[in-house]
Amino acid sequence: MEVWRLGAADVAAGIRSREFSAEEYIQQLLERIERVEPKVNAFVTVQGKEALEKARLVDRRVKDGEQVGPLAGVAVSIKDNICVKGIKTTCASKMLENYLPPYDATVVRRLNEAGAILIGKANLDEFAMGSTTEFSRDGPTRNPWDIGRVPGGSSGGSAASVAALECAVSLGSDTGGSVRCPASFCSVVGLKPTYGLVSRYGLVSYANSLEQIGPVGRTVSDVASVMNAIAGYDESDNTTAPGKPSYSMNGKSGGLRVGLVKEFVQGADPQVEKITQGAANMLADQGCRCEEVSLPSVEFALASYYTIATAEASSNLARYDNVRYGFDMSPEGYEWNSYFAKVRSNFGDEVKRRIIVGSYVLSSGYYGKYYLKAQQVRSLLRKELKSLFKTHDVLVGPTMPILPFKIGEKVDDPLKMYLVDVDTVVANLAGVPAISVPAGFADGLPVGLQVMADQFEEQKMLNAASLFESAAGVQRSPEL
Amino acid sequence: MAVTRDQVRHLAWLSRIELTDAELDRYTGQIEEIIKYLDTLDTVPLLQEQEPITTRKKFSDLRDDTPAEFDSESLGTTYRKDGFVKGPRMT
Repeated sequence: MEVWRLGAADVAAGIRSREFSAEEYIQQLLERIERVEPKVNAFVTVQGKEALEKARLVDRRVKDGEQVGPLAGVAVSIKDNICVKGIKTTCASKMLENYLPPYDATVVRRLNEAGAILIGKANLDEFAMGSTTEFSRDGPTRNPWDIGRVPGGSSGGSAASVAALECAVSLGSDTGGSVRCPASFCSVVGLKPTYGLVSRYGLVSYANSLEQIGPVGRTVSDVASVMNAIAGYDESDNTTAPGKPSYSMNGKSGGLRVGLVKEFVQGADPQVEKITQGAANMLADQGCRCEEVSLPSVEFALASYYTIATAEASSNLARYDNVRYGFDMSPEGYEWNSYFAKVRSNFGDEVKRRIIVGSYVLSSGYYGKYYLKAQQVRSLLRKELKSLFKTHDVLVGPTMPILPFKIGEKVDDPLKMYLVDVDTVVANLAGVPAISVPAGFADGLPVGLQVMADQFEEQKMLNAASLFESAAGVQRSPEL
Repeated sequence: MAVTRDQVRHLAWLSRIELTDAELDRYTGQIEEIIKYLDTLDTVPLLQEQEPITTRKKFSDLRDDTPAEFDSESLGTTYRKDGFVKGPRMT
């Protein structure tokens, strides 16, 4: 039986009913990883031995009739900017190549409690800065649908590992679209939660007023079950909201009021536009009330996003001095400033550029010109969204304005790379949830539909996403 | 705004990042292009009426800071002396 092909719900059910063992499942996945990794390169670290040990433990507990969690035995990959105790968390950076976290991130602890098995750490753009997973010291991750193309980013390893059937689900982080972009490019489901719904304790900070940890899976239902495990208040993250939500897949979805965001559709590649229009028609056929709506401030969203993200990056990354942890370089014979500047020259190109741009926009005299205005655009966007959510349950549009492009195509043109984030940054700026669901293919390449909802309205968003998913029936995993 | 090579060199120094000449050459044009794009913020209509979003949490709402046991051996550096971590000299 090819259990490596199963999604989270079927794996957990099969292990619980002893149809197959967790050990057998993990063993098959490890063989799959060995087979496809030379093509995909989704992992920075594979935890084979530890995963098998954990699997045997799950099997023993099932056999003994003990209570096991809802994700018992389910293999999960975790983006390598989320801390797992005793396992290298490198952020795909030379600067953290030897960093062993002394603690688990809250999301990791909660997944463990739910019975999930960590199979490996997933590749990313260095410190999550990028949209293609090309800026990694471990080399680029490749799109399982066409290994000459990018998988999206920065959580490219997360999405590619799920699409390539190397694990059932994954955790990524989304600062400006980093979960949804690769989900769209790899034809899987990726969710960015409402800001404050999921704890960031143990997530290496890049732009902490924007980012959230979010799940990737092959179905909306699998993503929802990971959310049920990880979401909710955490006393270690002061920005988390009170309470612990629980999402179901039996929600009412008939008669949803759907807004198709004009600005998202207009800027898109004609093939992406056609699929998005088709998706809106499909939702209308399912009994939703669909109409075109406008978010005029989208025009300024990217400038606002890149001002805030780089400003926060420049201060968050100031902590890396290589003294307490980092790579091997003796401090002997160096004066403080020169040692600091020397070791920090080992950040990659994109990280260095963003730190410098962040320092520029925060420079004395420029605060009012860039940072303050960027924050005001953020308020404007949130106001426009709040007003639309009074009359609409969800807003839809393409997740990405273009199709997955060739590896190397935009790597030397940072601005061109930033422009592909135009549809995703809005949810981060406004703090609202958004999900990318596979919508179809153009020229054999995946296109995703983005569904956004108001703050803490994940259930409505999941209802719409699930309705669309069953109507569209888009293929998830390619043959590799 | 125009961005010069000297500005990039100065900002890199403020950020304590040593850049090679080749990096300076490459980054200056790229950063100028990015900054020019961020300048579109100057064209947003009616922006002065917008208040930035602020948090509603008060300082007094934060949990207390309490000391916790910490194993200094868990730090990754191999440069140590007399139970301390070794850094570069200050001057």
